[in-house]
Formats: sequence, C-alpha cells, structure tokens
Amino acid sequence: MMYPEPTNIWESIEYSGLGIGIAESLWAFPMIESLHVMALVTVFGTILIMDLRLLGLASNNVAASKMSSDTLKWTWIGFVIAAITGTLLFASKASTYMVNPYFLTKMGLMAAAGINMLIFHFVTYKTVNEWDTSGTLPTGAKLAGILSIIFWVVIVFCGRAIGFTLGIYY
Amino acid sequence: MILDLLFEITGWLRETFLLDLAFWMMETSLSLFMVENFWNVPLAQVVHIMSIGAAFGALIMLSARVHGKAAETLPMDAVAARYVPWVWYGLLGIVISGLLMLTAEPLRNMINAVFWIKMILLLIVVAITLGFFKSVKAQGAGGAVQAASGTRVTSLVIIGLWLLIMLAGRWIAYIPV
Repeated sequence: MMYPEPTNIWESIEYSGLGIGIAESLWAFPMIESLHVMALVTVFGTILIMDLRLLGLASNNVAASKMSSDTLKWTWIGFVIAAITGTLLFASKASTYMVNPYFLTKMGLMAAAGINMLIFHFVTYKTVNEWDTSGTLPTGAKLAGILSIIFWVVIVFCGRAIGFTLGIYY
Repeated sequence: MILDLLFEITGWLRETFLLDLAFWMMETSLSLFMVENFWNVPLAQVVHIMSIGAAFGALIMLSARVHGKAAETLPMDAVAARYVPWVWYGLLGIVISGLLMLTAEPLRNMINAVFWIKMILLLIVVAITLGFFKSVKAQGAGGAVQAASGTRVTSLVIIGLWLLIMLAGRWIAYIPV
C-alpha cells in the first residue's frame, strides 16, 4: 500500500515502519490496546488505594509511608506498560490523535497528575513523620489525594472518548 | 485454528434463541436510551473500567499481603476486611455497567463467542474468589503471618483470570462476527 509523503513529524511517525505495521496488522492494535487496559486498571486501582489513604478514608491502620511503598511499585509497573503500549497505539494514528481534543486533554491531565505527585513527594511528604500513622492527614496530603482521583477519573474518560471520536476530528 | 473455532461457536449462537432475544432487547426503552445519546455507551465503559480498576487494585494488594509483600504488620484477616468489599462492590459496578453496555449492543455481544468465553471466565473467577477470601480470613484469624502455598498460588490464578477477562473484554469489539 502507498502512503503520502509526510508533511510533519506526526505524519512521519504514522508512516514509519512501526506506525504502518501496527495500523495494517489485524491483531496488533487490539492486542496492544488489551495490554494498555490491563496496565491502566492496575495504575487506576492502586493509585485509588493510596489516594483513599491520603484522604483518611481507608487503610488508616497502615502507615501512609508503608502504603505508599506497598502500592507504588505496582503503580509504576502498570504506568510503564501503559506508557509503552500507549506510545505504540499513538504511533499507528499519530496525526489523528494530535488533532483530537480528548487526546490532548488526556496528555495535559497526565502532566498535571505528575506535577501533583511531585509536589506531594517533595513538599508535603517532608513532614511525613508528623502524620505517618495518623488517620487525619495535613491539607496538602488530602488535596493531593482528591486531585489525583479527579485527574485519573477524567484521564480514563478522555481515553475512552478518544476511541469514540477518532473519525470526527481531522 | 482458534479463529475458526470462534467462528463456529458464533455461527452456532446465531441459531439459538439468543438471536431473537437480542432483537427483542434492541427494542426495549433502555436499549433505545443507551444508543440515542452519543455519550451513554462510552460513559458506561468508563464506569466499567474504573470498577475493574477498583476490584483489580484491591485484589493485587490482597495478593501481595498473602505473599507477605504488603502491610505485613497487619493480620491477613484485617487486610481482607479492607479489600474484600472493594472487590464485591467493584464487581457490582462491573455487572451494572456491563448490563447497560450489553443492552445497548445486544447483537454484538450475545452473538459473539468471545463474550460467552468472558462470561464463563467471570463465573469461574467469582467461584474461586469466594473460596480464596474464606481461606484468607480463616488463616488470618488463626494467626498465620503468611498464607499457605496453595492460597498464594490461588491468588495468582485469580489475577491471571482477571487479565484474561480483560483481554476477552477488549476482543469482543474486534473479533469478526
């Protein structure tokens, strides 16, 4: 099959051997997408458990620092797999994704979720010794928890919305 | 070849009462409601995914505890008390959102071998999970620090079955019927 000459970086990615290979294969996109789903539910589920601890709504009998180290390894494994599979899915339709408002919103919210995590880790978490085993955490920790839940719920919504609106935006 | 087998099962499904049932479902007001608004199906899918996340995340953490790799200071029955309700309420969310998705597109689901494979896997995992929870609570109440090796293996089987269920869930949309 012939593809047009790329006119920008997104088309170059889409018409690369990798992008075309995934787009033309009958099984590659569904299989990579399946892995993406398995990874993202792991991210969502384990982050939710940590967020509820930050809000003091569940697992208050476990220290916040212990809950963080217990959940975070699974969150990271899931996130790395979701990022790799997401990049592969992106490569197969890069220029279509780059004009999709839900895709762009999703990327922006993932950056926001990352910043939220960094602020929590480098600012709020400095005083962890004062509230580690408490069920009532400082406002900064609660705020990080509630923002994280909101970000990830909307990220999941955007992810599903991308699949339903791919043909709409050019 | 597995595709041929799936085709054969789907062809057989088309000969059963499920075809008439699917056509009847498409005429119900709930089905019409689900398809007349563009966002209803995607929103049901979002609830479906988040419910799976809630249940699966809880299962991962309970499985980690059973292996002595999380919340080791707490007895196993205390950890089970934290996560078991999230698995069942997550399953409730999965079933409700799943029924809405099924009602929206009855043909695509019910005349589809992968859908029924997924349903069978779901029943199997629920049956295994009932026994698993019971066993974890009993061992925790008995003061065991780590679960018996059979229980540890069972927790991995449950996680593996859920991954297969997710795989089947995504392939419902792609398998040619």
